[in-house]
Amino acid sequence: MSKQATSGTAGAGESLYRKEPKIYPRQVSGRFARLRVVAVWALLGLFYLLPWLNINGKQSVLFDLPARKFYIFGMTFWPQDFVYLALLMISAGLSLFFFTALAGRLWCGFACPQTVWTEVFVWIERWIEGDRQKQIKLDKSPWNADKILRKSAKQALWILFAAWTGFTFVGFFSPIRELGPAVLNLSLGPWETFWTIFYSFATYGNAGFLREQVCKYMCPYARFQSAMFDKDTLIISYDEERGEPRGGRRKDDNAREKGLGDCINCTLCVQVCPTGIDIRDGLQYECIACAACIDVCDQVMDKMSYPRGLIKYTTEHALKHNQGHVIRPRIMVYGALLLVIISGTLWGMTHRVPLRADLIRDRNALYRELPGDLVENVYTLKITNMDDQAHQYDISVLNNDAVEIDMSKPLSLQAEEVQGVSVRLRIPRSEGQGVQALELLIQAQDDPSISTKIKAKALMPLKFGSQP
Amino acid sequence: MSDKKQVLPGRWDRRKRDIGITVWVAFLAACIGTFVIFAVMDPEALNDAWVLPWEMGSRLAYSLGFLFLFIVSVIASGLTAFMIRTGPKSGHARGKGRRRPPEIRSPEENNPDLDLGDWK
Repeated sequence: MSKQATSGTAGAGESLYRKEPKIYPRQVSGRFARLRVVAVWALLGLFYLLPWLNINGKQSVLFDLPARKFYIFGMTFWPQDFVYLALLMISAGLSLFFFTALAGRLWCGFACPQTVWTEVFVWIERWIEGDRQKQIKLDKSPWNADKILRKSAKQALWILFAAWTGFTFVGFFSPIRELGPAVLNLSLGPWETFWTIFYSFATYGNAGFLREQVCKYMCPYARFQSAMFDKDTLIISYDEERGEPRGGRRKDDNAREKGLGDCINCTLCVQVCPTGIDIRDGLQYECIACAACIDVCDQVMDKMSYPRGLIKYTTEHALKHNQGHVIRPRIMVYGALLLVIISGTLWGMTHRVPLRADLIRDRNALYRELPGDLVENVYTLKITNMDDQAHQYDISVLNNDAVEIDMSKPLSLQAEEVQGVSVRLRIPRSEGQGVQALELLIQAQDDPSISTKIKAKALMPLKFGSQP
Repeated sequence: MSDKKQVLPGRWDRRKRDIGITVWVAFLAACIGTFVIFAVMDPEALNDAWVLPWEMGSRLAYSLGFLFLFIVSVIASGLTAFMIRTGPKSGHARGKGRRRPPEIRSPEENNPDLDLGDWK
């Protein structure tokens, strides 16, 4: 049953409320709209183009899950580089705190995939169906040839765009230059097919239909935001003191004489809002900080020859004429932590030694006594050449010259190869008894900077009765 | 102590119930997950795939597997409880207990100097 609001004085109960109308956001232009267009082009440009770019003959960004290797801008990350993933996640979390404390939901308004893809779907919708008024008219009109044509064209373009998105997404996990021909030959593997369809469907559903409902009901970030805000956080606010009492007028009218504030109650701020709220009611969890209301209100103020900024980015302190600082200890602490972690991660990534070695003791025997008063300990050396070129390595014992090293094969590894090599350490019995701590050095023959040290515990027989 | 704070003996308040349910449901989910995962996977096999320097025995593999699933489940069920508790109340879709949707009118209606052609 449709519940139309009769008037502000309607009876009690549900009849007071009208049905939530479908939101047809009015197109807006201005500073923040331009900024969002830049964000959409930059972020989607990166998403759609990166997999096609090659660096050193490899896809610039490829998460090769079966091989357990991530290729990112010419660098190869191995499972052992898990620490960088952890640091990346910490940086992402800290960034969210930093930017939210600084200027509210910047992420939601300009960078969230939900916003970015919805924006493109809305562009397609406007291109096919026309502006807001035309869309409303088309939806109300009976089904005729024009409506069928426009609606099917929109759906076709949406599906095509969503399918391209799904294909690109899978292209981050499976080499995209092989994926393209596979799609054309209909020889896509079952998993690639599943994920392409799944991601396409998710894009189509989220950006075409769910839109603002995802932000209003499904996203946890909106519910957490109050914990990250304080009175010096920049938020999109309506200057109630300046705007009220609101009311319509002619441009030449003297608003003060009529007892009016600067808000002309044109409701354009509501009409441009993608979540359909009225920013004049104060900060609401539905607000995704897209700043469309700022843009449109500034235009209206220009038209009426009033100063801009009736709706603007400001702080709660500033609105109440209190002293407040956007740059405050909280921001400085978040900023400093973020800087330290990001620069530390970058330093670590660029100074990585592309060699990893683990020495695992043979579990079957403690040691073996050999003729010539030698004691042999057996290990398996698991060595990984993380570099993108082949290397040969030397191995030596740093803290004991008397130890002999015998290996099953020379340490010669191709690029990105992992080998298990049997290593026998032969120690003269005279070197001691019990546990001997040895330190081994593995070094590339062609580049001494590629080296790593590993510790080895060698066991020697105890000489019972020889001690006093 | 005010009446509001008085709790009948043996009855849990809402927060306690939420925490209890979250932890218990997560525990059950983690148990089922652990059974299923280790029924089809030998924890000894993890040693070969393990990348950290120390060796992992099968007991540690079972424990870490369960702990990991439990933590993930607690996060998921805790977040779900939080989202439901902080979300709109029952009857929301029928218009109960919320503000009226904002009023929309043609910008020119009371402002004849505004030209609608400026805003598409």
